[in-house]
Amino acid sequence: MAEPVDDEIKKEVQAHKILIYGKGTKTMPMCGFTRETMQFFDKYNYPYELIDVLSQPAKREALTKMTNWPTLPKVFIDGTFYGDTDILDPMEKKGEMEPLLKKAFGR
Amino acid sequence: MITPDVLTDYIRKSMPDAVVTVLDRTGTMDHLKVVIVSDAFQGKNLLDRHRLIYQALDAPMKDGRIHALELTAQTKEEC
Repeated sequence: MAEPVDDEIKKEVQAHKILIYGKGTKTMPMCGFTRETMQFFDKYNYPYELIDVLSQPAKREALTKMTNWPTLPKVFIDGTFYGDTDILDPMEKKGEMEPLLKKAFGR
Repeated sequence: MITPDVLTDYIRKSMPDAVVTVLDRTGTMDHLKVVIVSDAFQGKNLLDRHRLIYQALDAPMKDGRIHALELTAQTKEEC
């Protein structure tokens, strides 16, 4: 049976074209990798959401299971899991990031 | 903290051919950049390659010997 927290995650992933699950908030990221991920998306002029899961251990655990990915941050673009900047940076170098975001936002 | 040798042993348990390079990002040997070259990555996308590595390093990540990890995973052909 699906846990309520799983439904909550699904709703969040659907609600935000770019969603970062990380540590801290936009004004006060609590982890270098979360900050790096924000800086990655700051280059593109699309809105993104950062959800702090340091304060939500149940959600953090559910996300780890769902994605089979142990670390934070976790990035979702247009509903699909893309890992972290270790994955996003090589995608950007190959020129895949801009088309992906354009397609996600329809502009 | 973890030594490059111990980290390499963990990786080679699941990827015996792995060539492992460990870079210390903070001088404390627990924030690491690790480059792994292995043919175990053949035919796998980046997400699955990194999942393989995370699984191999599960113990030292869970007990805190590794705090933060930046990964590069390539096959021999791709280097």
